[in-house]
Amino acid sequence: MFNLNTFVQLIADGLAQGSIYAALALAIVIVNQTTGLINFAQGGMAVLAAYLGMTASNLLIPVVGSFAGIIGGILFAVGASFALGAALERFVMRRFMGGDPDTAVVATIGLLTLITGLCGLIWTYNYIPYPFFFPSGASFMVGGIAISVWSLTTFLTILAMMLVLQLLFRGTKLGLGLRAISINSRSAALSGIRVGGLLMVGWGLAAALGAIAGVLVAAKVQLVPDMFDAYLVYALAAVIIGGLDSPFGTVIAAWGIAVMENLAAAYLPFVGHDLKIAVPFVALFLVLILKPEGLFGRKVVVRV
Amino acid sequence: MTLLELVDVTASYGPVKVLDGVSLSVPEGGSVGILGANGAGKTTTLRAISAMVRRGGRITFEGKDLRARRPEQVAAMGIAHVPEGRGTLTRLTVRENLRVGAYLRRDAKAVSNDIDYCLDLFPHLRERIGSTASALSGGEQQMLAVARALMAKPTLLILDEPSLGLAPTTAQSVYDAIARLRADSGISMLVVEQNANLAFRVVDSAVVLETGRSVLSGTTAELKGNDDIKKAYLGA
Amino acid sequence: MAALTRLLESSWTRVVIGVAIGVVLVLLPLSSPAFTNQTITRIAVFAVAVLGLNIIMGYAGQVMLGQIFFVGVGAYAAAITVRSDWGAALGFWGVVAAFVLAVLVPGVMGLLVALAAARLRGLAIAMVTIALPIVGVPVAKRLSDITGGSQGISARVFGAPEWTGLDNDQWQYYVVMTIAAVVFALAFFLVRGKYGRAFAIVKENEAVAASMGISPYRYKVLAFTIAAMFGGVAGFLYIAAIQFTSPETLSFGHSIELVIATIVGGAGSIVGSILGGIYYVLVPQLTNAVNPNATAVVQGVIVLVVLFVLPGGLASLPRAIRRLVRRKRGPDVAGPAATERRTPEGITPGAGDALPPRENEERQNR
Repeated sequence: MFNLNTFVQLIADGLAQGSIYAALALAIVIVNQTTGLINFAQGGMAVLAAYLGMTASNLLIPVVGSFAGIIGGILFAVGASFALGAALERFVMRRFMGGDPDTAVVATIGLLTLITGLCGLIWTYNYIPYPFFFPSGASFMVGGIAISVWSLTTFLTILAMMLVLQLLFRGTKLGLGLRAISINSRSAALSGIRVGGLLMVGWGLAAALGAIAGVLVAAKVQLVPDMFDAYLVYALAAVIIGGLDSPFGTVIAAWGIAVMENLAAAYLPFVGHDLKIAVPFVALFLVLILKPEGLFGRKVVVRV
Repeated sequence: MTLLELVDVTASYGPVKVLDGVSLSVPEGGSVGILGANGAGKTTTLRAISAMVRRGGRITFEGKDLRARRPEQVAAMGIAHVPEGRGTLTRLTVRENLRVGAYLRRDAKAVSNDIDYCLDLFPHLRERIGSTASALSGGEQQMLAVARALMAKPTLLILDEPSLGLAPTTAQSVYDAIARLRADSGISMLVVEQNANLAFRVVDSAVVLETGRSVLSGTTAELKGNDDIKKAYLGA
Repeated sequence: MAALTRLLESSWTRVVIGVAIGVVLVLLPLSSPAFTNQTITRIAVFAVAVLGLNIIMGYAGQVMLGQIFFVGVGAYAAAITVRSDWGAALGFWGVVAAFVLAVLVPGVMGLLVALAAARLRGLAIAMVTIALPIVGVPVAKRLSDITGGSQGISARVFGAPEWTGLDNDQWQYYVVMTIAAVVFALAFFLVRGKYGRAFAIVKENEAVAASMGISPYRYKVLAFTIAAMFGGVAGFLYIAAIQFTSPETLSFGHSIELVIATIVGGAGSIVGSILGGIYYVLVPQLTNAVNPNATAVVQGVIVLVVLFVLPGGLASLPRAIRRLVRRKRGPDVAGPAATERRTPEGITPGAGDALPPRENEERQNR
């Protein structure tokens, strides 16, 4: 039974949810492009950031009021995330660079376990609400259709983040440096680019992006340590489907996955809400069979 | 005044000793070549200067001990190194490659002037200024690599086998440009080259390496007249 | 000291030690309490699971995050078969059928996943397989008619037959250990033989393998499928030992714990698989006793420490100690491993020995 109201809501929510997947996926792409690693802990780091933001907000709100307190919390989450990401690169992941990438992956899995465990240890495994500008269920009317405020906020925020990142990478010297080290770090070093420092910046940027995604999700579903486990799967699927070397493709794939998932859950009765996570998996399967380098990626030619 | 001096430099990759006593010096404004057969250690010598390999012995630059531990630091001191294989940043455009060369500079106006200068020196690059670097031919990529190094306004330019992988005519035109550069600017250079004929076009003197040691040195004239050199490297 | 080292290294010693351990294992359950037997049985179950993971991770060098999924599927397949009408009716042959299905169903699934995932570079297998437990849990809950939903299924595969005079836990012990021993023997021969060598070449450098006529794709698919089948066997043993399975069995958390156990035990090593099984069963018990909330933190720290300090896992400890001792004694002790090359065992960091440790290692042009 087709209902325009529902349909638009599904699309809107899908785009918003997809933006979260896209943010996490972009973080993974940034790390992969600059340091050549896939960070399985990206989601875990985002969750930690959200917890930090919550704690900071809760401390600030009684002092400076709700609005400023929430902003302060978010800023703290993003800043702490950046620092944490940079530190992790320097002191943990640097060791595994240039080596077997599978070892590095296991290291990030260890990090994921560690970070998730830390969150559980410090903040317990119970659900904790995240103080935000508006309640998670708030919605407004557009032409008689109810749109979730959260969905709109999320979509716009992450879209803005992506534009900022694009500007950074294409228009600034820092971005040029990041791109140079992702292509050939030895050659970049010969031009004086401080490779080590930029590796840290790469991880820091990715972590900061994840932090924003984490805060947004926490605002909707409340904080719990394994909040982003499923999101990680979606993000990885988006990265593979979009192509590891195509940030644009990754974002499109993320939106596509989320919208498809929502529509499938609503209109295909056997899928339902709990099985909708299988949808991206099926899509992933098909893409891998038909176009392994991703919908937007380039065929990789490995020279001996 | 000596710009760069190597005294008894050694270098190893793990247990394998590749350099076993290399000595040479580059005077200010001078141009020196490093000649030798494959595997003699020419590239490793340049890498030792650029802190790309662990080394022993003494290297002084501008009179001071060169104690850098990372290539970035060496570059920041004014040594621009065009590596073996060119190191082209393939996914960036020609213009972006040049801007990377100028990464450490802060004078934006002068940088864009220098870009123009490079494009004059290498007209082929002017035509391709907006193309992705991977689309360039081998010779063009070599010119791009040299131009990129020049963008840093270096005190010393180090070139590692500019003719590598290029057809003879292409190599000649690359050396045309290098010779012109040398004539115009008098920039100090250190050039590794297996093809001695090409090297002699742009250097005043040269050092010959054999199994990691510097065994012979002299001015271009002296070396050209040397029968051993002729037989070994000039195919006489 | 040298004589002792030589004694320890000789293969006779290894055989003697192996036989001694074997004897102990055979006699142990007769005298020890049920709980000990059950614990050792569970260790064997997960050692098999880790062994499967080692085939793909340690020997073929692909990180796989879905092994517990295959264990769970195997367990479900076995449980459902044993409890079904036709399965119960067949008695002993029903158990055999359960075993066969426990191997085949995950095997086929593994094959399908591998066919898709193995095309990309190694990391793609990790990225895809991570989805298996995360998708598997809601599917298991949803198909409650078959799987018993969130409640899970309990199934008694076999009790001790009358004629043996053994208790149930002892009988399970023997059966599980025997099957595990057979599986380990199979793996041993697989790894030592042509396939093992092919896996190693694929792991070192896929392009080189291709040029030698070894198709990386095919061998990755093969390794993956074998791993899934081993997982299925472990699933059957799981039901035999624990007699209950639920969606919780194949959860994401367990999947990661299994990978960690594999690394800590020693990737790419038969002995390491056993150590991994021990780790998987015992360590969470220990940490839960101390502080359940800290379990994850401890696991994370342990795996990171192992990767930093002892990348070959606990199984490589003797080798590492030997190297340390040799280094202390100085270069005049010209042992055969003086210029020891790292054999393709374990997921070790790349040739960091060749170039001095740099802050930024070169990555190839992409």
